[in-house]
Amino acid sequence: MNVTATADKHFIARLRVRPIRIAEVLLVAFFALVAGLPLLFLIAGSFNLATPGQSAVYGLANWARAFSDPTTISALWMSFLLSGARLIPAIIIAVLFAWLIARTDMPGGNTIEFFCWLAYFIPDFPLTLAWILLLDPNYGLLNTVALQLPFVHTAPFNPYSFWGIVWVHTSTGGIWFKVILLTPVFRRLGAALEEAARVAGAKTTTVLWRVTVPLLSPMILAVSVLSFIRGLQSFNTELLLGTPAGIYVYSTRIYDYIRREPAAYGEATALGSVFIVALGILLFLYWRFLRGKRRFTVVTGQGYSTARVRLGRWRYVALAACVFYIAVMTLLPLIFLIIGSFMRRYGFFNISAPFTLAHWRGVLSDPIFFLALKNSLLIATITASAGIVLYSITAYVVVSRRAILAPVLEGLCWLPHILPGILLGLGILWLFLATPLRFIFYGTIWGLALALMVSDSPVTTQAFRAGYLQLGADLEEAARVAGASWGYSYRKILLPLLAPIAGAVGLMNFGGALTSISTPVLLYSHQSRPLAILMLEYSVTGELERGAALGLLITAIISVMMLVGRRLGLQLSGQQ
Amino acid sequence: MAPPVLEFRNIVKRFDTVTAVDAISFSVHRGEIFTLLGPSGCGKTTTLRLVAGLEEPDGGEIILDGMTVAAPRQRTFAPPEKRRLGMVFQSYAIWPHLTVFENVAFPLRVRRESAVVIRERVRQALATVGLAGLSERGATQLSGGQQQRVALARALVYEPAILLLDEPLSNLDAKLREQMRFELRALQKKLSLTILYVTHDQTEAMTLSDRIAMVNNGRLEQIGTPEEIYENPATPFAGQFLGRTIVLEGTFRRSAAEQWVELSGQHRIPVRVNSTDSFVDGALVRLITRPEDIAILPPDRLEPTQIDATVEQVDYLGDRFEYYVRAADTLLILTATKRHRYTIGAKVRLGFDPSRLSLYAH
Repeated sequence: MNVTATADKHFIARLRVRPIRIAEVLLVAFFALVAGLPLLFLIAGSFNLATPGQSAVYGLANWARAFSDPTTISALWMSFLLSGARLIPAIIIAVLFAWLIARTDMPGGNTIEFFCWLAYFIPDFPLTLAWILLLDPNYGLLNTVALQLPFVHTAPFNPYSFWGIVWVHTSTGGIWFKVILLTPVFRRLGAALEEAARVAGAKTTTVLWRVTVPLLSPMILAVSVLSFIRGLQSFNTELLLGTPAGIYVYSTRIYDYIRREPAAYGEATALGSVFIVALGILLFLYWRFLRGKRRFTVVTGQGYSTARVRLGRWRYVALAACVFYIAVMTLLPLIFLIIGSFMRRYGFFNISAPFTLAHWRGVLSDPIFFLALKNSLLIATITASAGIVLYSITAYVVVSRRAILAPVLEGLCWLPHILPGILLGLGILWLFLATPLRFIFYGTIWGLALALMVSDSPVTTQAFRAGYLQLGADLEEAARVAGASWGYSYRKILLPLLAPIAGAVGLMNFGGALTSISTPVLLYSHQSRPLAILMLEYSVTGELERGAALGLLITAIISVMMLVGRRLGLQLSGQQ
Repeated sequence: MAPPVLEFRNIVKRFDTVTAVDAISFSVHRGEIFTLLGPSGCGKTTTLRLVAGLEEPDGGEIILDGMTVAAPRQRTFAPPEKRRLGMVFQSYAIWPHLTVFENVAFPLRVRRESAVVIRERVRQALATVGLAGLSERGATQLSGGQQQRVALARALVYEPAILLLDEPLSNLDAKLREQMRFELRALQKKLSLTILYVTHDQTEAMTLSDRIAMVNNGRLEQIGTPEEIYENPATPFAGQFLGRTIVLEGTFRRSAAEQWVELSGQHRIPVRVNSTDSFVDGALVRLITRPEDIAILPPDRLEPTQIDATVEQVDYLGDRFEYYVRAADTLLILTATKRHRYTIGAKVRLGFDPSRLSLYAH
């Protein structure tokens, strides 16, 4: 008895350095390294005139060159213009969708909502390819059909244009993202406010535009700003559609700078730094704005009611319109993408034997494909599973009252939010080139997984943070008092309870890693090339049909994953 | 006497600038129910969490079962899992992803007991709290009372040195609360448990405790048996918190032979003060007693311990009357049996019990 008591005493005395303190310091160091340092490298790098890896020479020449080049400014301007131009139609359509799903008696609202979720996860790259196949001035199917008509002598559609980019964006994730964010907001609006307007004599449409939308305008505005910021980070569509027409946004311009021979790192980082500053200001305003509006949304959130607006006969019209939009904007292009992947020459139906399996056979017999598939699955698995462990612990420390560095840690977790994929890739590239980390990470799948995981940090940390706040501290403390160490209670109590969140974010991060192009595009090597990059390479080297086949494959993997996730009962909605 | 199971020596705990626990000292002996009683935010839950190791003290020393588990000066701190405690949380903290059996078995699994031992001890613990047969039920399918029993079984299953109960009855409805109180007391007697109990409910504290520590603003006001505290509250706060009190203000007077308090209207009430030195002649004092220790008597010649009063309002409460009477310029609320009935405006006498009077400096 005495012996155990003394042994215990020693153990207790040694435990003064609390494990949470160690965890906290390690996490802050980690995020400072992988998120803070790349950002610093980006900004410092823009003043560095030497190529990476050589001794630094500082000066303003990069900035001078970048800004004396009119294409730099126009690329920044084009980013803002494009993001703004596609926001307006998208937000109107998203508000209508959300209102119909959440506030009216339109049949099949839940199914429509689920399709919005599915559509959200369709990667934008294959969709853009699909629209190219439909709208290309030379072989695009819609142009071919249109040219059969009398009085039409030139191809009416051209995707390689400003409006082409805007059009394609109204079918990709962005619009469904807005629907997903807005539907719960509409759902929480008290029906009494709308009913009061009806009693006062207003028609359904009057109520929508005079009461519902103004009431929700703070949230709609918040979603708009967020979408605008996300729009600025867009890369794939702009690369495929803008570059052939000489339309550059800042992200494609940076890609261009880096891919040049020799790579113009200086100009790229100068442009990136300007963009980070602009984005930082925007995000700060957005955050301020949200903070000011929170009380307003809480008030509207009270008086939850399931009473719906009666549309009468129009409910079927509304349903038909929703189905039509989804069909035309996502299903139609995907179907033609499938057909396209089986055609000898896309769009040429009158040649002999127009259909062929050659592209699929070509892709599936290409050893590069198998390497890429293996790489992609490995990268996505590492990203998703390491992310769950890392960010669940990070969020734990962030909510822990005992952590002193919690605010610092949370701030570092948000940093990747202001780093669009291409800039994060660029920053991490600098990190790898300038530090010994390059031996493990430069050009390897580990490097790609690390970059993708860092880019997941804000959303994933927030999801786990919300989970911990909802669970409360008691369940964990009860385990500790019952005699469990922190590790044991984390494995047996916290992680199982957070499984739904872990599953949902794991799935989303897996999908994100599979489809991301802009983050890995500056980091991969031939050995670590993932599927999405292979798809990009096929597409920009004129093998559009092969690119289509790969795009379909990726889309299929994502769709199956989402359906399985839903079958497993993962709460995909309400996950922001 | 055996050493105490738990000893608190001058424990201080600060949150930022607020001192939640301010130099608290007490000890809990084997086999007793020791209750920390006080209003919400007084520091009693923080005190419990300090015992559990869920908070780290800023000063002082905590000794548990003969071992120093927290002493900031010596840089000693034992995490909760090293303290061999059982705790029932206010929210019960039943793990929703585990069955009743697995919830109760958890502390044993942590301690790597064999499957046979686990099965037997869980069965016993569940039988003890009256949940035999529910072991395969999911934890979320239980009622509030059942969850409470699971939490209790989980805390008891490995025979902890001390059982910590944080307002365990506050989430139950009134009837169930009474029943659980009774069962808890019986269980404690049967297993001779040592319990540190936290509550803000004076009835719970009075009926369950062997000893009560009154806590207010992070400080201990008084430690004693329920009776001691009720009859002789050391501070006005202790007196008021344990039930309704009557407060009369007056002036302390003393002569060679006797001491009394002079109230307004020339009333004087003789008092016996043990520590007479603490009051000088002419000091302003407060005279505190319980409503049930004041007798309402029909008008007659005044005895030395009586003052006269006027009935201002009468409320009929079914089993008794509640009288609002004015005496010595103070409105007092007193209850009386239905034997006598006084109407509004009636002149009455109030009779005090000198042994039930407490005197405090103003």
